[in-house]
Amino acid sequence: MSISTSPPPPVVKAATAGSSSLARSEPPIIVFEKVSKVYANGQAAIRDASFTVRPRDFVFVVGASVAGKSTVIRLLIREERATQGHVLVEGQDLARLKHRHLPRLRRKMGIVFQDFKLLPALTVEQNVAFAIQVTDPGRPHLKEKVGEALYIVGLEDKLNAFPTELSGGEQQRVAIARALVHRPRIFLADEPTGNLDPDAGWGIVQLLQQINHRGATVVMATHNREVVDLCRRRVLAIEDGRIVRDESEGAYLRDGDAIL
Amino acid sequence: MNPIPALKFVARVAVQNILRNRGIAVASILTITLTLLGAGVAVVVVHALDGVLHTEEAQASVLKVFMADHVGFASEVNLEHNLGSPASVASATFENKDQAAQQAGSSLGLTQAINLLERSGAGNPLPASLNFHLKNIKAVSELNQQVRTSALLDSGPHPTDYNADVIPRLERYIFVAQLGGGLVVGVVGAVALVIITISVRTAAYVRRREIEIMKLVGATDWFVRWPFVLEGVIVGVISALVASVILLGVGLGFGGGHSLALGIGAPFAGVTVLALIVAGGALGSVGSFVGVRRSLST
Repeated sequence: MSISTSPPPPVVKAATAGSSSLARSEPPIIVFEKVSKVYANGQAAIRDASFTVRPRDFVFVVGASVAGKSTVIRLLIREERATQGHVLVEGQDLARLKHRHLPRLRRKMGIVFQDFKLLPALTVEQNVAFAIQVTDPGRPHLKEKVGEALYIVGLEDKLNAFPTELSGGEQQRVAIARALVHRPRIFLADEPTGNLDPDAGWGIVQLLQQINHRGATVVMATHNREVVDLCRRRVLAIEDGRIVRDESEGAYLRDGDAIL
Repeated sequence: MNPIPALKFVARVAVQNILRNRGIAVASILTITLTLLGAGVAVVVVHALDGVLHTEEAQASVLKVFMADHVGFASEVNLEHNLGSPASVASATFENKDQAAQQAGSSLGLTQAINLLERSGAGNPLPASLNFHLKNIKAVSELNQQVRTSALLDSGPHPTDYNADVIPRLERYIFVAQLGGGLVVGVVGAVALVIITISVRTAAYVRRREIEIMKLVGATDWFVRWPFVLEGVIVGVISALVASVILLGVGLGFGGGHSLALGIGAPFAGVTVLALIVAGGALGSVGSFVGVRRSLST
């Protein structure tokens, strides 16, 4: 958990680094506009948050547990709806998105979580193929596409292994491969290193940077200080549901902050 | 999306789900079989009861009009013509005194008594009658009122065999039997629906991770729902088949192995089996549809 030695000024330096000049001229791929989210139990997870993400940006969303990082991800995949304000993805206001169009939105996104969400009864290859089979079962060259995704994550030799036979890092790579098979323009990762040792975690972050270099916009919610500090990418810091910092080449903590 | 691979996928997943969750599937099949069996037994019993009551009703729908001994054939024909013409009368038959004696002898065991009377010179005491077969039991009372005014009728205290108590009682029995049967089938159907809904909800809970992943990677509600619905249909139809086999087996057993018990004919047995299969499939699909709905809410 971080505390400020002095009250932080609310927000925000314009984020520039980590994005190409071409991206600067494109409209933002993600827009949060005065977004608040209050859950049914009255807990305010996000308060009046505004930010934009340009295509091909790589953004760390950092903050303590229950700061609201995961809510940002859940709002982006419309697992939750904003109580106030607007969340736009590729110009589409998610509040107005009809339920039947939700699958189309999610196919544009690759999503990975801390707990991998793999099916233990399926092999690595089947887990990755599952994403295609349940969305487009007639798609040709299924095997090749699965093989390609597994090659990108470096697991091309583990096709027939079951998730329980893999390390945590490998399981997260399988989840990333599954998220990649739709060639998403946006890649969302919610604490992807949370269950991994530092080396495996760093490997996952490097993989996400590769995916970013291939053209995907990456938003990663994390409280892994080391990887944020090593990467020096854009950082959105959340405290108690508010965006308190938006730095283009940020660190996990602002200078002068301390860790309890 | 190409529908053929999609349907293949749905069918494969449905079968896989049943095989993977064999315990739940077998429990569902057993309970639904029992409920469908209950419904089948109710239908068969109500049908048999209905048959008995309708036979009684058919008998009660015959109004016997006793003729006075002096009435000649022409008058009888005239009465038959006048009273037999209303739309409520299906047919009218004449039963002479000898036929009446024969009938009383065979059905009431009065042959000896009648013979004794005839030998004693008193003659056949039974009157000739016109028997009106009515289309509807409700018309019996009306015809009885109409016919009693005729001078051609026997002058005894009972010029017709109309019994005011029998008809409402029969109607009441038929109503109660049909209502009771309908209630049993309805309750049993509702129980089966609840069981299927719970079992699919359990299956959906067991597979919540799979459903969660499907939704996260962009599967449509159709793709999430239909394997469950097909699974429900398969379970429902298997249950109906098992219930039908048991029902027919028990029916044959009680019927002595050659025919079904309770006078059930093959056409009715066929319709019952078909109805059970359709009901099983319908209950399975509706129960699954409802059962998986909660998993699709986000």
